[in-house]
Amino acid sequence: MQYSQRGRLNDQIARAVCFVCAILLVAVIIAVFFFIGSKSFKIFSEGGNPKTFFTIDNWDPTGVNDPNGNPTYGGAGLLLGSIVITLGSIIIVTPLALFTAVFFTEMAPRWLVRLLQPLIEIFTGVPSVVIGFLGLTVLVPLLSRFITPFAASLAIEGATAGYGWGSAILVLVVMVLPTVLSVSIDSLRAVPDGVREASLALGSTRWQMMRKAVIPAASTGLGTAVVLGMTRAIGETLAVALVLNGSSLPDKLFSLGALFQPNVNVTAQIAQNFGEAVGTPAEDAYWTLAFVLLIISFLFICVSRYLASRSVYK
Amino acid sequence: MSTSVSQAAPTPTEEVRTARQRRLIRRLNRNNAIASSLLWLVTAMVTVLFATIIIYIVISGLPAFVTGTFYGTGAGGIAAELFNTFYILILTELFLFPISLAAAIFLVEYTRQGLFVTLIHFAAETLAGVPSLVLGMFGFLLFSIDLHMGISRLAGALTLLCLNFPIALRLFESALNAVPRELREGGLALGATRWRMIRTVVLPSALPGIITGLILTAGKIIGEAAALLFTMGTNNPNDVFTLDPRIASDTLTIHLYYLKQTGIGTSGLGATGEAALDAGLAATLIILLLLINIAARMVGRQIERKLTAA
Repeated sequence: MQYSQRGRLNDQIARAVCFVCAILLVAVIIAVFFFIGSKSFKIFSEGGNPKTFFTIDNWDPTGVNDPNGNPTYGGAGLLLGSIVITLGSIIIVTPLALFTAVFFTEMAPRWLVRLLQPLIEIFTGVPSVVIGFLGLTVLVPLLSRFITPFAASLAIEGATAGYGWGSAILVLVVMVLPTVLSVSIDSLRAVPDGVREASLALGSTRWQMMRKAVIPAASTGLGTAVVLGMTRAIGETLAVALVLNGSSLPDKLFSLGALFQPNVNVTAQIAQNFGEAVGTPAEDAYWTLAFVLLIISFLFICVSRYLASRSVYK
Repeated sequence: MSTSVSQAAPTPTEEVRTARQRRLIRRLNRNNAIASSLLWLVTAMVTVLFATIIIYIVISGLPAFVTGTFYGTGAGGIAAELFNTFYILILTELFLFPISLAAAIFLVEYTRQGLFVTLIHFAAETLAGVPSLVLGMFGFLLFSIDLHMGISRLAGALTLLCLNFPIALRLFESALNAVPRELREGGLALGATRWRMIRTVVLPSALPGIITGLILTAGKIIGEAAALLFTMGTNNPNDVFTLDPRIASDTLTIHLYYLKQTGIGTSGLGATGEAALDAGLAATLIILLLLINIAARMVGRQIERKLTAA
């Protein structure tokens, strides 16, 4: 009697502890939104204008560039940088990941699958600093060698040619590709074999089967993969910060040269300057940037969840 | 229908039709061949890219590995960073492992699928989507400032807990879900309480999966940098080899970033020495990652053997 009572008490305690741990996860995410949100509207009461924050391209929260030392909070250039490199990389990643995933699930011989699977898994975990380091020591000099002869015609400085959005996009491709690839493979594998067999039985070629049956059946899952890739791309920091290497937008924004000279985005700006800004009025401006990033990633997650909820095969 | 008509009167249109059919088949076969070779090509490209990057990093780090100073505590050494990386790994796992395992146990064993589970999963996905830099700023605000931990190892570990919670939860959930239902029912039918059943039946059966999850989160923790930038700092105090969680310290990843960004030229090694150190740091990280992956795979194989033997 005593024994069973103690057992039941233990069960109750264990249940309560486990419940608290599960609730902790919800508490963390609420705290993230609350803490960053509560900090992020401060600059608008300190002279920052919510309208110009998203329209002006002049990020000068410490006021060093202003003769009177007045700070300017114009994050349009930073946001543009983040959007350009996210879209640029996802445009390259999507076909690569899609083709590889289709090959992987539909055509690859078994020995190749056994070789590729661990490679993708290892690559998903490669630290972003290492990829950034590689971008800095291999990709930037390589791009620079190609670009420097055209530096004059592109109206950019030869010395810093190679840094910028172009290399950031390529670095992000390497960072994001494994993520998109593995989610795509999962969603293609979730399509039951019956779909493939039915299509082949109707006389389709293998390519028709993939294009007309398997890919449409997995479309929502593939969409989820792309959106998750974008979430990863927009939040990627150190790899991008190392190859961007800029402090402001280039003068001629709408030219080919803008891709190959030092440039900015949101995450690199925060990583480089937030530490020094702590304790000064400029700090609040970086909280606003962080909140914008948080909201963008939240929207991406909502889209990916919506897509996932619509998929037929899970 | 059409065959009977054609048998009655073989018209020119019939020849046209078969010719058209043949052309269609040829076109479809050609498309199939083109698409297949394209898929081969793209996959080969991606594979070569991945393999080249990994091999290149390891090889370019080799020169640093043979220098004696690389393993020391001097300017060109990584001993302190290696110690800090493993310190922060263990400290984070001390929080992460029990908390996320308990949360996974609650979701899998104690509650039914429903609104609550959906809510937790939504929270987990949202948290997993928060950029690690933003989570680092959150950790700085909550742990370093509001909870007065300062820039410290403890603040870094707690931030990493928040960052890896969703991943660990998912891994542990799938490990628990892999345990067959009958085992649970058997345990409960013997009159055990749910907790006793979990402790004596579910957890031992799910152990290999749980260990795999633990190893995989270890890889994430070792590779993380952005979240530690503002919570653990980029510099070491003089007495770095202590177990004191209140001191600031850097890790392999942070050190690599620091050397390449703000601290460029500060190590006093000269350009070539610094380049070798950077390459060595990158190679060390990759080798640690490879070891972790191999370990996880070996544990995974162990499960398979166990399942097939049973």
